[in-house]
Amino acid sequence: MTQWSGYLGLILQGALVTIELTLMGSVLALIMAFLAGMGRLSRFFALRALATAYIEFFRGTSIFVQLFFAYFVLPLIGLELTPLQAGVLALGLNVGAYAAEVVRGAVQSIGREQHEACIALNLGRWQGLRHVILPQAFLVMLPTFGNNAIELLKATSVVSLISLADLTFQAQVVRAQTGNTMVPFATILVIYFVLALLISWGVRSLERRMARGLDGVRV
Amino acid sequence: MSAPIIKVDAISKSFGAFKVLDGLSMQVMPREKLALIGPSGSGKTTILRILMTLERIDGGHIQIEGEQLYHMERNGQLLPADERHLARMRQKIGMVFQLFNLFPHKSVIDNVTLAPMLTKGTPRAAAEKRAMELLDMVGMADKAKAMPAQLSGGQKQRVAIARALALQPKIMLFDEVTSALDPELVEEVLNVLWRLCAETDMTMLLVTHEMGFAHDFADRVLFFDRGKIVEEGKPDEIFRHPKQERTQGFLKKIIAAGHRV
Repeated sequence: MTQWSGYLGLILQGALVTIELTLMGSVLALIMAFLAGMGRLSRFFALRALATAYIEFFRGTSIFVQLFFAYFVLPLIGLELTPLQAGVLALGLNVGAYAAEVVRGAVQSIGREQHEACIALNLGRWQGLRHVILPQAFLVMLPTFGNNAIELLKATSVVSLISLADLTFQAQVVRAQTGNTMVPFATILVIYFVLALLISWGVRSLERRMARGLDGVRV
Repeated sequence: MSAPIIKVDAISKSFGAFKVLDGLSMQVMPREKLALIGPSGSGKTTILRILMTLERIDGGHIQIEGEQLYHMERNGQLLPADERHLARMRQKIGMVFQLFNLFPHKSVIDNVTLAPMLTKGTPRAAAEKRAMELLDMVGMADKAKAMPAQLSGGQKQRVAIARALALQPKIMLFDEVTSALDPELVEEVLNVLWRLCAETDMTMLLVTHEMGFAHDFADRVLFFDRGKIVEEGKPDEIFRHPKQERTQGFLKKIIAAGHRV
């Protein structure tokens, strides 16, 4: 029994690494999503082209290869990354490319009449975006951002391949040491599922909070 | 006689192959109340949208208070206006839309204070004080904290009017502001327009289908058809004794549809 509690400790340490990766990767993904999403809507061709190239490239190539590239190839050109840095970079850039299309779609879903009200009130382009368009668009983005975050959480397991001790990595350690396959993998399956549930709940409650008043229900 | 506040000179505008405005010219004097009537697609809404810089013109010139709207004078040459010039010109003009276009994520008072705070740097306290005065004027002071979704159409439109007034424009454009309202809500909005007329010296242009209101309210009525002004004159002349066949035909149809003239 004490032996199993030791192994459980290993797995919980792995869970912390997975959570850390998910949080940091999500922050990078969010930044990239807004940069590239707004870039695609830019008036300037160069920005649109740059954003499109980023999105198509990172959606069109495998997350495995992106991670191996960040960890094994970048050092060859003098950019040495720790496994954690490489993991955050690959996950954030990959999921950010998907989320960028969410940003673009949400901003475009805000009706023309809102843009026209901004012009009639003489708001500048950035002022209108910042105070009128993006706050409404963000609410449209949220549910899909929740999906993206869960995708990112699940994709974190690839970092076990570059020896980062996340959940999946620790489960393999436990399996190697105990010879038991069922227990460690069943355990991390449940942990991944619980983490995904937490993300779902978090996003949904944020959504509820932000949508308050928009539907005419007195608050 | 003073100079016109709006001078539209031979402007044209097409949407694809459809010519909405065809060499249109008109002048509006300061404080004048102008009603623009005519069948849909006649260009009357388009001219308001052009004055608000929501649509660009294909040709011609517009002057507001003697200054070019879509052009800038540089070294004696007329160049296309840049964003800065347009922003400066827009300060003179406000617009109220058929579908209100309130910001749904902001409370009534925040809808009114947003633009003065952002575009004029008005401090929040001063902007809110002014907003409450305006909301009081349109009879919406008690709903200052409400969200737009909690309001009726007439209430939304009154807030939209207060929002446009907060920037103190000299010219106000009203684009079918009662068309989307239930009949019993029309009057509360028209009453606000009467109040504006009595208490401010703004120039007002209204596109409207409320012929009775246009008759009582306007100093001058312009009848639009196919991108041109077919007939213009005092309300009595246009509504009681229209000279042009097309004006007569239009008014006949409107009366047949049950509108009071």
